[in-house]
Amino acid sequence: MKTNGAKDGKNIGRVTQIIGSTFDAEFPETSLPAIYHALTIDQQIKGLHVKVTGEVQQHLGGGRVRCVALGSTDGMVRGMEVLDTGASLTVPVGKGTLGRVFNLLGEPVDDRGPVVTEERWPIHRQPPKMEDLSAKTEVFETGIKVIDLLTPFVRGGKAGLFGGAGLGKTVILTELIARIASAHGGYSVFAGVGERTREGNDLWLEMQETKIGKTDRSVIEQTCMVFGQMNEPPGARLRVALSALTMAEWFRDATGADTLLFIDNIFRFSQAGSEVSALLGRMPSAVGYQPTLGTELGELQERITSTTRGAITSVQAVYVPADDPTDPAPATAFSHLDAFIYLERKIAEKGIYPAIDPLASSSRVLDPQYVGARHYAVARQVQKTLQRYRELQDIIAILGVDELSEEDKLVVHRARRIERFLSQPFLVAEAFTGKAGKITPLEDTIRSFEELCSGKWDHLTESAFMYIGAIDEAEEQAKRMAAAS
Amino acid sequence: MAKARAIVKRLKAVKNIRKITRTMELIATARFKRAMDRASAAAAYTRKISEIVADLSRANLQISHPLLEDRPEPKASILLVLTSNRGLCGGYNSGVLRQVMARLRRASQTEESIALEVSGKRGINFLKFQGRPAQRTYTHFEEKPTFAQVEELADRFIEAFCARRIDRLEVVYTKFESASRQMAVLERLLPIGKLEVDKAKAGKDPQAANEERLIEYEFLPSAEEILQEIVPAAFKARLFKCFLDAAVSEQIFRRVAMKAATENADDMIGSLSQLYNRARQSQITSELSEIIGGAAALE
Repeated sequence: MKTNGAKDGKNIGRVTQIIGSTFDAEFPETSLPAIYHALTIDQQIKGLHVKVTGEVQQHLGGGRVRCVALGSTDGMVRGMEVLDTGASLTVPVGKGTLGRVFNLLGEPVDDRGPVVTEERWPIHRQPPKMEDLSAKTEVFETGIKVIDLLTPFVRGGKAGLFGGAGLGKTVILTELIARIASAHGGYSVFAGVGERTREGNDLWLEMQETKIGKTDRSVIEQTCMVFGQMNEPPGARLRVALSALTMAEWFRDATGADTLLFIDNIFRFSQAGSEVSALLGRMPSAVGYQPTLGTELGELQERITSTTRGAITSVQAVYVPADDPTDPAPATAFSHLDAFIYLERKIAEKGIYPAIDPLASSSRVLDPQYVGARHYAVARQVQKTLQRYRELQDIIAILGVDELSEEDKLVVHRARRIERFLSQPFLVAEAFTGKAGKITPLEDTIRSFEELCSGKWDHLTESAFMYIGAIDEAEEQAKRMAAAS
Repeated sequence: MAKARAIVKRLKAVKNIRKITRTMELIATARFKRAMDRASAAAAYTRKISEIVADLSRANLQISHPLLEDRPEPKASILLVLTSNRGLCGGYNSGVLRQVMARLRRASQTEESIALEVSGKRGINFLKFQGRPAQRTYTHFEEKPTFAQVEELADRFIEAFCARRIDRLEVVYTKFESASRQMAVLERLLPIGKLEVDKAKAGKDPQAANEERLIEYEFLPSAEEILQEIVPAAFKARLFKCFLDAAVSEQIFRRVAMKAATENADDMIGSLSQLYNRARQSQITSELSEIIGGAAALE
């Protein structure tokens, strides 16, 4: 029992140190487990069954390796046997994963029996080669006005939802699932990284109720979900995104279908990394983050990409600590994305949801080459109007609207209407707002904003523009409001 | 640091604006005093001359003067708009211009043609922007309009009215009622119509009004000749009063607007300072913790 080394052809070591969610294990110098290999501990200690998986992070010398525990280290003691699995952590991939909920180890957690798949893939994989990358750029319509107009999504691209606490990142993400997944023929993978467990449960139930298009099948049948939520130790949150990504990669590579990958929240991945970084003995870098922040995120993000075989369209929520987008974690995530949506507290405070900041948000494809000259011109006009309004805001705050020139008064007048028109009732929020969700086709969106900018709707009151779909509804809403008062 | 520096920049700008608005408030206060003295001096004269004309009209005479002739369904009118040359006076101009736009809309439903005469750059620019450029513009009326300047206009109006080139003259200006009450009004000055004493004034002191009514005038050389003199004089006095009222109101509006602006700027300076301090402090804290963390990791 107490001997290290090979036993029945197994490579066995012993735990020598446990620090928080990391532990050290000693192996014979000749058979050290390689970096990223999974080690398992499965033992009864004083009536407590301890089952932990660890991942090798460092070789410390003297036959010792340092590992990150992918589960809780509660109950672990020094001297426990550690089994080297001889490979990276693997997760089941294949159509058998559809409709199921997993933890990061690929174990089903939905109480629906074992998962049968032909293959298991390691969670650490190489990103696709450069020559395999797809060069197509195509706009992905969501039916949300502000997104379609100002930050069009790319089919097979990555979109990020940045925002501070409580601005509605998860709501927008859920809304996108409801909109895209229900109209989408391919597969979806959802990764819950370090967010509330309750939200994951809500989403799971909602997916069972939502039907795909007009068919009788629910969205969950085309979706697999992987959760490593807030209650899990940092190691779990650090690897759960990779597990989900690996499952999504299978759909892309093996079936060639368009795959959707939703991650909520990628910031928790960086955060988990920083939690274990100091324990692994790395020197903290800017704002206390791990020095390897860029590398870690790069390894993950580079794998989320579309190849010539299939596409992964990904939407990621990114928490912005203290509403400061210059924080290293969101700033690093930013550079990987095609469409960048920034949620602004000031807009949420006005009661305008989705609280997307039309000036800070941007998209790679908002370019006449991809969206067409008309769309581009309208989007820029909208941004120009809002930009001017923002510049004037200090003057208005001090001197009042009366001091503006006539041109600027008109700009303010329109900007205030545009600002309100950017709100939209959501499908998933129907129960809370009492308003039916609105899907606005891109063509209607462009026309609406074009007319707004040209002053066709200057005569309506501002509140007529709140929470409607296409612009034509503003008139009805104004009439309704006039009748009610 | 970038954030803190941006806040400092804004803070400086707001402080400069505050300096300006504070100074303008003081200037407006001083000018208001002077303009009000002039206006109240003129008010007494205007009131008296209106009373005399009213008494005359009550003297059972067959009054006929071209300026008194009512012309129903006017074909051509002049709308004289009194605005300020300078901004930073709150809702002063927009109040007047709102009246003007309402009047123009009313006129567009009839066959009446309205010629605009605008005093003040603010009004001129606004109406040009609205596509209703003024036919005559004046920018020389500042806070001290003189009677000679106004008389020049008045003479031209009288001449045009008598020659029937215009049927009506209306003035839009900000009426000064008291230091705490001014409002944008539209007044018809030509034809003079029923000559009456300001009812509010008469009502205030019924005793005095009764006494006045009992006064018997003796007209020398004749009532008609006196009428020839006094009717244009009354019109000029009223027109002059409009200009004076506008000048006082402008100063009051400016004072109030600048006072509010200074207070707003104060609020903003407060919140920006707080924001700056917080940004600076958090930056210091994060730098400190980085240094300490780095040092600790090296040990």
